[in-house]
Amino acid sequence: MDGQDEAENLVDNRPDDQEMLAVREGDVGKMGTLFERHHRMLFNFFLRLTGSRAISEDLVQDVFFRMLKYRHTYQPENNFMAWMYRVARNAHLDHARKFKLELVPDTDEQPWEPASHDPSPHQKLEQEQEVALLRRALGKLPVEKREVLVLSRFQNLKYEEIAEIMGCEVGAVKVRVYRATKELSEIYFELAGEKAS
Amino acid sequence: MKCEQLKEMLPDYWSGALDQTGKAALEAHLAGCALCQREFEQLGSVWRKMGAIPEERPSAAMRARFEATLEAYEHGLQQARRVERRKKLDHWLAGWWPQQPAFQFGFAVAFLAVGLLVGHSIGRGTASPVSSGASNIEITRLQEEIHDTRQLVTLSMLQQQSAGDRLQGVNSSYQIRQPDPPVLDALLHAVNYDQNVNVRLAAVDALHRPASTTEIVRKRLIESLQRQDSPMVQIALIDLLVEIKEKEAREPLRELAAKADVNAAVRTRATWALERIQ
Repeated sequence: MDGQDEAENLVDNRPDDQEMLAVREGDVGKMGTLFERHHRMLFNFFLRLTGSRAISEDLVQDVFFRMLKYRHTYQPENNFMAWMYRVARNAHLDHARKFKLELVPDTDEQPWEPASHDPSPHQKLEQEQEVALLRRALGKLPVEKREVLVLSRFQNLKYEEIAEIMGCEVGAVKVRVYRATKELSEIYFELAGEKAS
Repeated sequence: MKCEQLKEMLPDYWSGALDQTGKAALEAHLAGCALCQREFEQLGSVWRKMGAIPEERPSAAMRARFEATLEAYEHGLQQARRVERRKKLDHWLAGWWPQQPAFQFGFAVAFLAVGLLVGHSIGRGTASPVSSGASNIEITRLQEEIHDTRQLVTLSMLQQQSAGDRLQGVNSSYQIRQPDPPVLDALLHAVNYDQNVNVRLAAVDALHRPASTTEIVRKRLIESLQRQDSPMVQIALIDLLVEIKEKEAREPLRELAAKADVNAAVRTRATWALERIQ
């Protein structure tokens, strides 16, 4: 079962791998295609981690610059997505080390846009409040827990891929996802309780 | 099934990866364990709510910045390859040069003799205008290359993580006689978004000259004045606008002077500026 999944992953990621291989061989213009495909996803990855649009944009630039600079370290037998997210994690880690103060996300920077479907005004308001509360709760979560949730819930990566990114067993990823969700839920309901009282 | 085992299954259940057998076992346990049922509902609802957080779009400036970086990087790479090729050629030529000093001396004398003979037979004075024309082209090409390299240095320094490096990037922009749009864009980006106030201030200074010649820079600096939150940067921007006597800035300055939540020193400066830009 696992072997089959892995084979499917490999096929899914083939185009990225080919482009990155071309970049590694010196055709750096191909990085433009990879940017087109992944910049938005990376931007949202950093946005969930940092809460700041400006910092997230800087970090996306940093990731693509690092991938250019360290293109020789890319190995074709590796999954490109896992490699890219490893670079992204390192970029975020370096940033967090340098700007310790900014680790707490600035949750008021930008108002959230409403969801795309069209609920009633009352439902809409309720959903917006829930989303705002959840963002605050996410901001209070320790960064390593926030990271595993962002990867699994927002980036839609499989646990196998996350294990490759984090360099651990799949079982360990699931345990971390469970613990992070549990802690998030505790913070969320605590905040919701404060608001209700 | 024990409660611990249920916890291990939940992540698969949420992501939809749990098979039918697993689901059946999970439901059977939940039916008999109120504590797990409660946790199952709470965590499940938080997991679902996370799905309601919408995806956001990055700004268009991000793509422009990436494209400028990529272009500069490609350019730098080509330069490096050219140097590499030249080195190889030198190496190849060196292979032809004899190792023995006596032979080297002999070669040198022979080349000198051939040179003198050829020079004598071709005659005098006819080649000079052509050669000076060619060297002018050469000089222009070199100047262009220096210009490109400076832009490249500025752009790549402005992308650095360390504020000190970014400051150097801002300083190196002074050496560019007429910065290209990507460099101006990077400087304006630094004014608006750099986390370090010193870098922002230096970028404002570096934009003095471009602002006096380029209208779009003036426009973007006025926009920047409206969004800045650091009083020091606001004052630096106001001073710049006064120096270039930017009339378009009067309305935003008036608004700034009247805003209650703006720093008092900034408001005073804005009023002062309005008297000077007539």
